[in-house]
Amino acid sequence: MAAVHGDVHGHEHDDHHPSGIMRWITTTNHKDIGTMYLWFSFAMFLVGGTLAMGIRAELYQPGIQILEPELFNQFTTLHGLIMVFGAIMPAFVGFANWQVPLMIGAPDMAFARMNNWSFWLLPVAATLLVSSFFVPGGAAAGGWTFYPPLSTQGGLGVDLMIFSVHILGASSIMGSINIITTILNMRAPGMTLMKMPLFVWTWLITAYLLVLVMPVLAGVVTMLLTDRHFGTSFFNAAGGGDPVMFQHIFWFFGHPEVYIMILPSFGIVSEVIPTFSRKPLFGYSSMVYATASIAILSCVVWAHHMFTAGMPTVGQLFFMYATMLIAVPTGVKVFNWTATMWRGSMSFETPMLFAIGFIFLFVIGGFSGVICAIVPIDIQVQDTYYVIAHFHYVLVSGSLFALFAGAYYWIPKWTGRMYNETLGKWHFWLSMFFFNLTFFVQHFLGLAGMPRRIPDYNLQFADFNMISSIGAFGFGSTQLLFLYIMINCIRSGEKAPQKPWDGATTLEWTHLPTPAPYHSFEKPPVVN
Amino acid sequence: MVENKSIANVLMLKKLLIFTLIMFVFGFALVPFYEKFCEVTGINNLLRPDIQAKEIQVDESRWIMVEFDANTRGLPWQFKPLQTNARIHPGEPVSVMYEITNNSDREINGQAIPSYSPRFLDKYLKKFECFCFTKQTLKPNETRQMPVQFVIEPELPADIQTVTISYTFFELAAGVSAVNK
Amino acid sequence: MHNQDTQKKGSASIWQIAKAVMFAFMGIRKKSDLENDAATLTPAQVIIGGIIGAVLFVLGVMFVVRLVVS
Repeated sequence: MAAVHGDVHGHEHDDHHPSGIMRWITTTNHKDIGTMYLWFSFAMFLVGGTLAMGIRAELYQPGIQILEPELFNQFTTLHGLIMVFGAIMPAFVGFANWQVPLMIGAPDMAFARMNNWSFWLLPVAATLLVSSFFVPGGAAAGGWTFYPPLSTQGGLGVDLMIFSVHILGASSIMGSINIITTILNMRAPGMTLMKMPLFVWTWLITAYLLVLVMPVLAGVVTMLLTDRHFGTSFFNAAGGGDPVMFQHIFWFFGHPEVYIMILPSFGIVSEVIPTFSRKPLFGYSSMVYATASIAILSCVVWAHHMFTAGMPTVGQLFFMYATMLIAVPTGVKVFNWTATMWRGSMSFETPMLFAIGFIFLFVIGGFSGVICAIVPIDIQVQDTYYVIAHFHYVLVSGSLFALFAGAYYWIPKWTGRMYNETLGKWHFWLSMFFFNLTFFVQHFLGLAGMPRRIPDYNLQFADFNMISSIGAFGFGSTQLLFLYIMINCIRSGEKAPQKPWDGATTLEWTHLPTPAPYHSFEKPPVVN
Repeated sequence: MVENKSIANVLMLKKLLIFTLIMFVFGFALVPFYEKFCEVTGINNLLRPDIQAKEIQVDESRWIMVEFDANTRGLPWQFKPLQTNARIHPGEPVSVMYEITNNSDREINGQAIPSYSPRFLDKYLKKFECFCFTKQTLKPNETRQMPVQFVIEPELPADIQTVTISYTFFELAAGVSAVNK
Repeated sequence: MHNQDTQKKGSASIWQIAKAVMFAFMGIRKKSDLENDAATLTPAQVIIGGIIGAVLFVLGVMFVVRLVVS
């Protein structure tokens, strides 16, 4: 533990950091690490997106054209795993690394060396995951939820996936321990809990959820591993185990996990909306309470993912009611955002556009979620494209759009340069159009009964699938525009003023120059 | 001030690590908890004999076709029912013999796992005796006949005319105890 | 951890904790009440209150389910 001591304040007075590649490998600076997290997650986003393009290319027409069924299954599985664990989650940790110390007036994260370590675990895990395509038998192909018996029977690819999940889990746990400690112990004087920006609040609650459920995921993949190689039978019916138990334990992790992916985006949107409405956030305290409430409720609804796995009626009703009640705090949040915009002097720069797009489309995703929570309907739409449409509305137009909003919002502070507003708006409108083209029709496909994770389909689904694929290719290419906008901004954007958004009120805009200096808040600011 | 902060940070780190460890153990604790929960609530009651609580009325106005199925997975046994089906009245006690033969020259432990079609049959099927309640050990080239005794309750929905009862034998590694002792 | 407002920390009555937790479950809270909560409740009280609240929530939903199926 002595190393941690020396690290925390030895670092503050050390301006001589190595240059070149060693700067990035050895860095303990929260801004460098945040940047690496963001680039890593964008790279993984492109990898997962390429897999998605493969899936949609195969589904462009009925029949098997491009991907053999085995490879198609590997594509759907790895697309899910990479997007969830490689793209969305690290991107939010990247935002936390950059923004949490700036927003609470801390000089750095609490455990700077551990921070470096938790980042560098990620490329290792990602390499394991992607390289599993090239081992005999190919990558894991049992879906991103890796249910047994498929995951106990698969080849070497499944082992690589299990190790990769272990490493990613360790990285997330270390990251969240770091974030919790930073938020609770390192706030500037006067920054009481109830004065913290909402983004910090949502991350505090998310980090607690992570340390609550990530170890359970680690446990369940460990059980899979011992089932595969050490003769235990946790999930093997022949040995007295139960594959349905895997689903219960997995979703005990899995349902809080979906809130882990959405709560920080609530936080980002709650920063962006007040800034561009030039009004303080309506109902700040309600927002904090609603976030906590969602986090607690998320731990008692997991079995709504398993209504068709066999469950007594009492259980189905319990999970159905509990799930539908989550709509209450979520609704409180949506109303608060709308009320924040009400009579504000709004302007529609790119971050605001993405935030409003988020609210609009997330509400659609939320409603289709309530529909899926109703047991008789869920039994109909289980494992169909309706479910695909639902969770892409909350994960792509929810989490991803909020990430875009945050990236455009904070990039001037990070780089000292403005992005190209016209291109940013193009990025938003193209994303909005192609996203809905891709996923809205999937509601119809699902209601008509098209099953998910199947490379071929009946002729009556052909038209909607073609529309969806065209939308997907458009959405995928649009994200290259985002890459161009960001590179263009970093290399040749216009110089940004200290506070480019006149409605911004948080510490990083009011107390720090632009770009944020390498070492910030070495003397804590005083918050009134 | 700074020194205090580092100490507080390390304390927090320790607390959170302990919490992480507790949650990791909790993941494993869910396994016995799940089994206990299923036992107490009577879900998943496939491998324990039922007790005949009340006198079951035989519904002679109705016939049900019961099909018997037998499979082995990964062990060199021959396993078959002595009759492939039976036409019965709901509520009538039925006894069926199954035969297993160990075709190999080593002693093997096996456990049979039942499976029903339609899936909700287990609510109406009361089994009083079954070879699936315990593990079966067969010496080299031994043949054994074993009974299953059961009743299908008359509450079985009227639109069901045919049901299937299937057993699959899996090999148990030596030394592993039976599923339900 | 941070002790800016320790004067009255932990002085909340059980009813006050219960009220804070109930409002948290609904997700609505008045600003003045919140400031009062922040001044008088300790994190431990809130967490224990939250866990009890979650148990009561589960029992409540179970009760409704029983009513519906019986």
